[in-house]
Amino acid sequence: MILVWAAEAVVLVLVVLGILVEAPLALAGTAAAGLAALVLVRVRPRLRAALAGAFAEHPTAALAGGAVCALALPFALRASPYWTFVATLALVYVVIGQGLNLQIGTAGLINLAGAAFAGLGAYTVGLLTVSAGWPAWLAFLAGPVVAVVVGTLLFVPILTTRGHYLALVTIAFVFIFNVLMNNLEFTGGPQGIKNIPTLRLFGYAFTTAPTVLGIALPAHANFYFAAVALAALATGVIRRLHDSWLGVALNTLRDDEIAAKCCGISIARAKLTAFCIGNFFIGLGGALYAVMVGFVSPPDFDFGYSLIMLSVIIIGGVDSIPGVVLGACLLVPLPERFRFLHEYRLLLYGVVILVMLLYRSQGLWPAAVRRYR
Amino acid sequence: MSLVETRGLTVRFGGLVALDGVDLRVAEGESVGVIGPNGSGKTTLFNALTGLYRVAAGTILLGGEKVGDLPPHRIARLGVARTFQSSRLCPNLSVVDNVLAGMVAARRTGLLDAVVRRGRVRVEMREAIARAGHLLGLFNPELPARGWERVGQLPQIDRRRVEICRALATRPRLLLLDEPSAGMNPEETAELMKDLQIVRDEMPGLAVVIIEHDMFVIEGVSQRVIAFNYGRKIAEGPFAAVAEHPEVREAYLGKDTVRA
Amino acid sequence: MPPLELLFQQALNGLMLGVMYALIAVGFTLFFGVLDVIHFSHGDIYMLGAFAGLSVLTGLAAAGVGAPALALPLAFAASIVITGLIGVAAERVCVKPLARSSPLMTLLATLSLGLVIRESVLIFYPRGADPKPFPWLLPQGSFDVGGVVIRYENLAILAIGLAAMVAVDRIINRTRMGAAIRAVAQDPEAAQMMGVNLDRTVDATFFLGSGLAAVAGILSGLYYSEIHFIMGVTGGVIGFSAAAIGGLGNVYGAILGGLLFGLVQTMAAALIPRGSEFRDVVAFAVVLLFLVVRPSGILGAKSVERV
Repeated sequence: MILVWAAEAVVLVLVVLGILVEAPLALAGTAAAGLAALVLVRVRPRLRAALAGAFAEHPTAALAGGAVCALALPFALRASPYWTFVATLALVYVVIGQGLNLQIGTAGLINLAGAAFAGLGAYTVGLLTVSAGWPAWLAFLAGPVVAVVVGTLLFVPILTTRGHYLALVTIAFVFIFNVLMNNLEFTGGPQGIKNIPTLRLFGYAFTTAPTVLGIALPAHANFYFAAVALAALATGVIRRLHDSWLGVALNTLRDDEIAAKCCGISIARAKLTAFCIGNFFIGLGGALYAVMVGFVSPPDFDFGYSLIMLSVIIIGGVDSIPGVVLGACLLVPLPERFRFLHEYRLLLYGVVILVMLLYRSQGLWPAAVRRYR
Repeated sequence: MSLVETRGLTVRFGGLVALDGVDLRVAEGESVGVIGPNGSGKTTLFNALTGLYRVAAGTILLGGEKVGDLPPHRIARLGVARTFQSSRLCPNLSVVDNVLAGMVAARRTGLLDAVVRRGRVRVEMREAIARAGHLLGLFNPELPARGWERVGQLPQIDRRRVEICRALATRPRLLLLDEPSAGMNPEETAELMKDLQIVRDEMPGLAVVIIEHDMFVIEGVSQRVIAFNYGRKIAEGPFAAVAEHPEVREAYLGKDTVRA
Repeated sequence: MPPLELLFQQALNGLMLGVMYALIAVGFTLFFGVLDVIHFSHGDIYMLGAFAGLSVLTGLAAAGVGAPALALPLAFAASIVITGLIGVAAERVCVKPLARSSPLMTLLATLSLGLVIRESVLIFYPRGADPKPFPWLLPQGSFDVGGVVIRYENLAILAIGLAAMVAVDRIINRTRMGAAIRAVAQDPEAAQMMGVNLDRTVDATFFLGSGLAAVAGILSGLYYSEIHFIMGVTGGVIGFSAAAIGGLGNVYGAILGGLLFGLVQTMAAALIPRGSEFRDVVAFAVVLLFLVVRPSGILGAKSVERV
C-alpha cells in the first residue's frame, strides 16, 4: 500500500514541478528526474513487477490515493489560474474521451463528429441560458440529452450499413454543424453566444474564488473540482459498462460482426446503445466546457477538434479506459507547456499518431484483458 | 416433427444458383454429415440456415416454425449455433471472453445493473465464467487455467475448441460445424473426433450437422450423410451407401472413374 | 423562381464543379476497390496537387515561360507526376503496413497523414495560412447562347476534366495495368495467381488516383483563382461522399456521384434563399438521404463478404 501511495506522490510532485517551474536549471532537473523514473521502471523488471503487483493488490487504495492527488492539484497550482484552467480542460477531455472511446475503441464505431456532439452540448447550454433564460444547472443537464437525441437521429438510418458509412456521415455532420452554427442567426453566427451565466449550485456561484481548508484558490478551482467529479463519474460508468455484458458484446461485434450475429447478439441494438451512451458523455464534456468558459463559438467545435479528441484515444490506448485518462492528461497540458511549439502542435499530433499506429497501435496504456472484478 | 427441415431451399447470387431446391430434415439429437466438392453449396446451406444469406425460394422450418426471413441473431436465439470455416474468434480478447460472447444473448442483468447494481452483475458473471470454465474443461483440462490469456496465443486445436465452446454456450438445439478439421494433421483430427464424441455425450439432445472433407471424421461421427453437388442434394443415407453412390463418386473423382 | 437562363447557367456551373469533384471521387473509389480502404488523406493530396501546380507555374513564370499554352500543360504534367509519386509514398507509409490490421487503424492512419500534409503546407509553404492567388491562364471572355452566358474558362475546365475522365476510362479498360487493377479489385488472390504483381498494381492505382486529384486541384485553382491549404478537407469529404453515393468501387459511379454533388450544390445556391451559404449543408443532406435509401450507391458497390 505504501508503495502505491509513494508512487502516486512521486508522480504528483513531478507533474507539479514540471508545470510550475520556470528557472531553466530547475526545469532541466525536473525533466531529468522524470526521465530517470521512467527509465528505471522500464529497465528494472523487479521494480516494475513490484509496482504492478502493489497496484493490483490494493486497487481501492490506489484509487483513493489517485483521488487525493487529483484533489490536491489545485492547491499546488493556486498561484496560476491559467494552469488550473488547463487542468480542468484536461478533465473535460477525459469525460469526452471516455464517451468517444466507448464508441471507437470498444464498439469500433467510427465517430468523427466528436467536436460536433460536444458542440451540441455546449450550444444547448448557451442557447437555453442566454436565449431562453434557463438556470445554468438545468441547461447543463439538457446539453448531453440533446447530443444523444441528435446522434440517434443521425445513426438510426445507417445502423445496418458498413463502418465507413458512419465515418462519412459523421464527417458530413461535423461540417453541417459548423456551417449551421456559423450561419443561423439564433446561434449567434460567427461570434457565437457570449455571457453564458455561470453555474450556480444552491446559491453558490462558480465564479467566486473558493477558500478551501483555509487556502484561497482561483475561481477556476470550482470548475476543477466539478470536473474531477464528472471525470470520475464518466470513467467509473464506462468502466462498469465495459466490464459487463455490454462490453463483451461490443468487443465481439467490433472484432467480428458475423460471429457476433451468430451468437445471438443484436448488432443494431448494441451499436445504438454504445453510440448513445458515448454521445451522452461527449455532450456532457461540451456542456461543462460552455459553463466553464462562458461563451461558445463555431471555431471551437470544428473538425480539427474531432481529430484532437481522436488523438487522445489513440495515444492513450484504443479501448483502454485508463489510457483515455493518460491521453487527455498528456495531450492537453503538454502543448500549453511547450508554447514555442504551438504552431507545430497539430503537425506533431499527426506525426505522433501515425508513428503510434504503425509501431504501437495499442497505445501508451494498452487495454488489458477484461477481468470482471 | 424434425428439428430442422428445409423444403425447396434455393439461394441465388445474381445469376449463380448456390442452392437449388434442397429438401432435407434433421431430427433432434441426430448427427448428420454433409459432404461434397468445393463450391457445392455446403457452407451456403449453413449460411442460409443461420440467416446470413437471403432465401430466394423455399422454406426453412425450425421446430415447425418458419424462420427463413429472420435476422441471424434471432435464429441464433432460437437455438442454432455454428462454427466457421475460418475460425471467427476475437484474437485479442481472452479465452473466457470469447466463450462469454455466446452467453450475452441470454443475460439477465442489463445496463442499469452494470452501473448501479454491481452485485447482481458480479454474481451473474461469476456463474457465467464458471460455466465457461466447465465447457472448456470438457475438451482440455488445461484450458480453463489459460482462460485469461488472449485466445490468439493458443494453438489451433485449442482455438477450435474455444469456438465450439462458444457455440455450446448459446445452449443450442442445433450445432452446425463447418469443416472443423480443416488444417489439422492426423493426431489433431483424432483429438477432434474425441471432442465431437464429448459433445455428443455431454448434450445428447443436441442435433449436430458437420461439413467435412475428411471422410474418416464423417464416417466416425455421423449417423447419416448427405452429399451435395452444384447446390443440389445428390445422395443421402448411411456413410457406406453414400460413399458407393455413383453420382457421389463422379462428383469427387470425375466421370471416367465411375464404374459402369 | 429565378429565370430559366439563370438555372441553366447554374446547371453548367454545377457540371463543371461536378467534374472536379468526380476526379477526386474516382481516386477514392479506386482505392476502395483495390484495397478496401478509405484513404482519408486523399483530399489533402488534391490540395498538394494544387500547390504543386502553383509552384511549377510560379517557377515557370520566373523562368520566363509565361505563355498559357506552354505553361499549363507543363504544370499539369509536372503536378500529376509529383502528386502521383507522393500518393504512392503515402500508400507505402501508412496504408500498406496496416493492411492486415482492422480498417479502423487504416482510417485513423490516413486521417493523421492528411493532418500532417495539411499542417506541413501551412507551416512550411511561405505564408501558408493565406489563400494563394492562382494565375489566370485560361482563355477569358464569354459568348451568349439564348440569354445564357457561357464563359470560355468554364468550357476549358469542363473540357480538361472530361479529357481526364476519358483518359481514366481508357487506362482502366484498355491497358494491361488497368486490367490488373480491375482484377485485383475483384479478387486479389486470384489476380496474384494469374501473375499480377499486387504491389505494383497498388502503386499504380495510387499513382493514378493521386494524379487525377492533382488535375482536380489545378482546375480548382484555375476556377477559383486561388488555393488554400485547407481546401483538401472539404474536397476530401465531398470526394468521399460523391464516391459513396455513386457506389464505392465503381469508377463510373464516382463520376456520376461527383457530377450529382456539383449539380445539387449549385442548384441549392440558386433556388434556396441564402442558398450560397447553405449549399454545402443541402448537398450533404442529399448525401445522407442517399446513404439511407440506397447505401450501396447508384451503381452498386463491391461484392458480399465471404462467410
